[in-house]
Amino acid sequence: MSTRTIEIAVGLFVAAGLAALFMLAMKVSNLANYTGDDGYEISARFDNIGGLKVRSPVAASGVRVGQVTGIEYDSGGYEARVTMSIDPQYDKFPTDTAASVLTSGLLGEQFIGLQPGAEEEYLMAGSEIELTQSALVLEQIVGQFLYSKAEE
Amino acid sequence: MSDTLIKIRGMKFSRGERMIIDGIDMDIPRKGITAIMGPSGTGKTTLLKLIGGQLHPDAGSVEVDGQNVHKLKTSQLYALRKRMGMLFQSGALLTDLTVFENVAYPLREHTRMSEGLIRQLVLLKLNAVGLRGAAQLMPSELSGGMARRVALARAISLDPMMIMYDEPFTGQDPISKGVLVKLIRELNDVLDICSIVVSHDVSDTLSIADYAYVVSDGEIIGHGHPQELVASDSEWIRQFIDGLADGPVPFHYEAAPVLDELISGDNRS
Amino acid sequence: MMLLDKLQSLGHKSLSSVQRLGRGHVFLLHVLPAMQGMLFRPSLLIRQMYSVGVQTLLIIVVAGLFVGMVIALQAYNALVDFGAEDSVSVMVVLSLLRELGPVVTALLFAGRAGSALTAEIGLMKATEQLSGMEMMAVNPIERVIAPRFLAGFISMPLLAAIFSAVGVMGGYLVAIELLGLDAGAFWSQAVAKVDLYHDLGNGMIKSAVFGFVVVWIAVFEGYDCVPTSEGLGRATTSTVVHSSLAVLGLDFVLTALMFNE
Repeated sequence: MSTRTIEIAVGLFVAAGLAALFMLAMKVSNLANYTGDDGYEISARFDNIGGLKVRSPVAASGVRVGQVTGIEYDSGGYEARVTMSIDPQYDKFPTDTAASVLTSGLLGEQFIGLQPGAEEEYLMAGSEIELTQSALVLEQIVGQFLYSKAEE
Repeated sequence: MSDTLIKIRGMKFSRGERMIIDGIDMDIPRKGITAIMGPSGTGKTTLLKLIGGQLHPDAGSVEVDGQNVHKLKTSQLYALRKRMGMLFQSGALLTDLTVFENVAYPLREHTRMSEGLIRQLVLLKLNAVGLRGAAQLMPSELSGGMARRVALARAISLDPMMIMYDEPFTGQDPISKGVLVKLIRELNDVLDICSIVVSHDVSDTLSIADYAYVVSDGEIIGHGHPQELVASDSEWIRQFIDGLADGPVPFHYEAAPVLDELISGDNRS
Repeated sequence: MMLLDKLQSLGHKSLSSVQRLGRGHVFLLHVLPAMQGMLFRPSLLIRQMYSVGVQTLLIIVVAGLFVGMVIALQAYNALVDFGAEDSVSVMVVLSLLRELGPVVTALLFAGRAGSALTAEIGLMKATEQLSGMEMMAVNPIERVIAPRFLAGFISMPLLAAIFSAVGVMGGYLVAIELLGLDAGAFWSQAVAKVDLYHDLGNGMIKSAVFGFVVVWIAVFEGYDCVPTSEGLGRATTSTVVHSSLAVLGLDFVLTALMFNE
């Protein structure tokens, strides 16, 4: 095998490897979401976050606008504190926006849905969402149902 | 510049629990062919590796041209090795290079000669061993004897001050052997260097050696000029030189007396 | 007493294994600094990348294709009962990027390139070529071992990426052509659920670690082997077995560290 052929073959091999890596990065990963790594952080408190996880999506009107970056338990207020990063281009959420923990589909993963309010001031980095709706926990719903049935 | 090129003093070397070399003193002169002979497995090849610094002794020292081999730093050791040529038993040619490239290897590695000059030198070295026409062959296409000759051409490419031959005649047909014997003697005289031949082939080795050491069981049992050894009356040397089946090196491998073993019957445990 | 003999032999074997482990680490400490020799001789590295990387390409591509296709089929079977067949692409991509890409590539690499490396170096040792180089004042670790080591380490992540990419294509083919799923849903589901750093990035880190370990074992087994034909055979077998086990063991550790949710 001449040296030249070998060098060409190795060059093609490395190029193919990099191309594969590139293709994987572009086509099947959320690379697009990373171009906006400098989103702004807001927080919200919930009684129950259900199955919410870090990196769960944050959506408004069904469109993904950010993701959950942190989940903590606040022993002072006995509730869960969720921090999320909103993409910088979505900077017009009114301060009375509501955040609810919703489920995508019937058995899907949980995400935070934002419902904009009517205030004139907008949420900024470090703001906290006041109006929150916790996740629906199956046992509580069943319990409520049985209770209301028992009352009839 | 003293007459002795290599001084070995009090050399001891063991592998595991076996004492391979047990107190050897040797003086190898700067010019001429020195033979190191002895039965198989007595550490002759080990001696060569100790001289070249590939192995470290348990005790004792080796001085080559005034330098203590095992006290040298790596760069100094490498510098010394460039002045030594070594012919391994199998030739040790690099299998993915042609004959030409194998002989050119030390030149390309250690000198800055132009390709044209290298080509001339390589062809001359190959010519000295009679294989100039085989320059483009691959090592796998060579017979054992030819491979050794190419290795010899490679060993002399940097014009060393000494060449070590590890069992050069073993397994060779009479013609190849004759070629090698002739080459070793001629090269030594033409290049005016020191050659060390390790071998257990008595007749061929003694026919070209200027001085010889006989080693057995890790010790030197005799040394001298070939004529002295052939006329020696030491039992050990006699057995070796004459090729006697039994003597100081016994015929029977160590075992219990034969009658005892037969009488005890089935001695499978 | 038989028991005592067995205990003694067990102890001896354990001690020599530990000694071997130590030798392997000392060996590594010699190989790593020897890599600077390649700065002056890049052709050594290129030649080895050909023999180690390019020549493993074929088996990686074929294997990747089949693995991707099989995952798509199995994922479909598992998900169709829940009406979730649109998630087939997610299963294909995630299992390839996180696990199968790095691990299967490493196992195939160990079998194909690793054993070849061991055999090559072992044969050079047995025919005294390494010794010959030493006597010609050329450092065999620098000239023979280090280029092979670096070539393996670079080639592995590249091969793993190719494996995963080809696997995704294979999964796509099966999903769209065979199972009749929607092409748009295929890619959009994947994009939604696959994270660049967490999944692709960690997968690449895994394959780099695997590459390092497999090549280290392959090269050391060759260098340390008993220089007879029997010893060589044992060394190549040992390379495949030990590097496969190491890969699987490390995979567990890395997965636990990286994918802890």
